[in-house]
This record gives sequence, C-alpha cells and structure tokens, in this order.
Amino acid sequence: MAEQNLSTEQLKALEEKIKQMSPEELKEFQKKQCIFCQIVAGKIQSRKVYEDEKSVAILDINPANPGHVLLLTREHYSIMPQLPEEEISHVFSIAKSISNSILRGIDAQGTNVIVANGVAAGQRAQHFMVHIIPRKDNDGVNFTLPQRTMEQKEIEAIGNKLIAAIGGAAEPEHDQPEAKKPEKSEENADLDDIAKILGVK
Amino acid sequence: MADKQSGGCIVCQIIGSKLPSKKIYEDELLMAVLDVNGANPGHCFVMPKNHYQILEQVPDTEVGRLFNVSNKISTAIFESLGVQGTNIFVANGIPAGQTVAHFTINVIPRKENDGINLQWQPKQLNEEEISTIELKLKGETKNIGHFEKEEKNIAKIQPARAEFLPDDDEIFSRQMRRLP
Repeated sequence: MAEQNLSTEQLKALEEKIKQMSPEELKEFQKKQCIFCQIVAGKIQSRKVYEDEKSVAILDINPANPGHVLLLTREHYSIMPQLPEEEISHVFSIAKSISNSILRGIDAQGTNVIVANGVAAGQRAQHFMVHIIPRKDNDGVNFTLPQRTMEQKEIEAIGNKLIAAIGGAAEPEHDQPEAKKPEKSEENADLDDIAKILGVK
Repeated sequence: MADKQSGGCIVCQIIGSKLPSKKIYEDELLMAVLDVNGANPGHCFVMPKNHYQILEQVPDTEVGRLFNVSNKISTAIFESLGVQGTNIFVANGIPAGQTVAHFTINVIPRKENDGINLQWQPKQLNEEEISTIELKLKGETKNIGHFEKEEKNIAKIQPARAEFLPDDDEIFSRQMRRLP
C-alpha cells in the first residue's frame, strides 16, 4: 500500500489529516484507498460472476480452489460488525445462492463460507467480504479446526461473559420497522475503535 | 420445533435440551451455544432450530437471522473476551469439513498465533481454466433472485459421513451418550 513509502513526518501529517476528517470525508478517503472499492466501481478489472444493487461477486485471483468467489458489499465496510442488519441478511442470502451455484456449476462436493474480521483472523483487505470456497476430497485445502478442552468452570465463565455482552442486543428484531442508518452514533464510534484495534482501518 | 427428520441429530438434541450445553442465545428460530471443544475459548455454534442439513436448504429469512445473530455474537466476543479478531466459518459438505448433518455457523474468537489455520496456498490457473469457471458460474448465478428456479435447483451434497446421518441415528446417539 501507498502508505508504506511515506516518511515518518508525512505519515504523521496524514494521520493528523485523517483525524480532522468528517465521517463522510473519512469514508471517501477510505474508498479511494481501497482496492475492492475500485473493483466494485469497475476502475480495476475483475472477473465478476454476479452483481446486484448491494453486492458484487468476483473470482479470487489467489484462489484456494478454482471457483473461489469473493462476495463484496458495494458499500465500504472494514469489518462485519459495521454492516447494518438488512445488509447482512442480503449478503448472506446471496452467499447461499452463490454456494449453490458453485455446487451446481462446477465440480465441487462442498463449500466453505468464511469471513475474517481482523488481521489475526486472516483478513488481508480492508473491505468486508465473504469467501465462498469450492471443496472436493483431497483438494489440498485444510481448514480443520483444533479442538481444545475447557474446564467446566471456564465454560461457565466465558459463557456468562458472552451472555452479558449480547444482552438485549440479540433479541429478535424482525418485527420492528427497518432501523434508520445511524449517522455517527456512539455505537458506530465503538465499531470504529474495534476496526482500529484490528488494524484494518 | 425441530421436525421429524431430526430424531438422531445431535444438534436437534442440543436444541431440544436432550443433551447438555452452555446456551448463549435463543429465540424462536435459532439457538447459539458455546463449543465445549472449541478451537479457542469462546467459540460458538449458531444453529437453526429447524433441521436443515446444508446452507442451501435454509430459507433466506432464516439465513438473514442466523448471520445477524452470528454477527452480534462476534461483536460480543470482541467486547468481552479481549480478542484480536473473529472468524465466521461454515463447513458445507464432507470435503469442507462438515461432520454433523445440521447446518451450523461457527463464530471463532481469534488471536495472533493461536494455532488456527484458515489460510490456503493459492492455486495457479491458466486463462482458459479461469474463463471456463467464470462462464459456468455466471450460467448458474443468473438464476439468483428467481425464487422458483432456485427452489427447484438446490444442490445435493453429502453433509456428513453415513454413520453421522440421522438415518443411522441410533448408533450415533449411542456414541454420543458415551461422551462426558
């Protein structure tokens, strides 16, 4: 990325500039920096296999297997927690359909659907995306998850922390009218903090 | 809520409270529990109450809910467990690592060097191979949004090895009871 070639002073000046930007300016700035925003806008070439008003699906140029699809939101979000509810519903319904297209259209016996939030989780680009990866027996891809043993006490403690953190936030919301997009609410600020910590902002 | 097909399904048994679990969240459509043998502490399973084997069988309304709740759990993991990342991970079909024939979303807390590997060695394809795949996929994705066509065209794959399929439920539940 371009930032890597800047001197310390330039970097500082840039940071200062970013700090003073309004949320709208910041979003514009991120979009300009983001290669996937340019792909979505058609400024960088890609192999599009699907698009609609909210999402674009392209072939990954570094695929785990032939037919590996990246499903992108048109809107720039760094991580999944920033997506509004209706956008999540849409993008994963499309992910399901693309998985079905992969199973039907190319020689695959399974698919993995993966989202990485944060560098530690394997996120490489600063634009939210869903990976849909065709799978076959002995395809050389191995996503086997390790299994750890947890003490009953630890299970209770972690479980209770999560229950407290989810709180009322995970109550069914389907009957409520569509939530308005918050401008720069406190919740958004929290998510921006998370994104910053994750190093994907 | 769980339907008839689900007799021997371990996930349906957890949902029906016939097997113990640490429940994190529940509503009328889904349940989330802590994976007691998780890849990292805080690893959660999000599961529809209705018995679907693979993602393609789950209706869109439920897909939306399942992934929105997964996202809320992922956010809760960030807020409460001091992690550096999360993965949302679905294994659809045996070669993808699916072991139980009930669609499940994994929400996995991540830290640097935590021993979890969801990376891959990129495969090299030539221009012709890429173009062929592109055409084949486009041929299929043009049906997206045409619900009747999609309904009829759900792919069939093996969601779990035969011994883990509900048809062999007795053997399987006997195996499960042996676990602590």
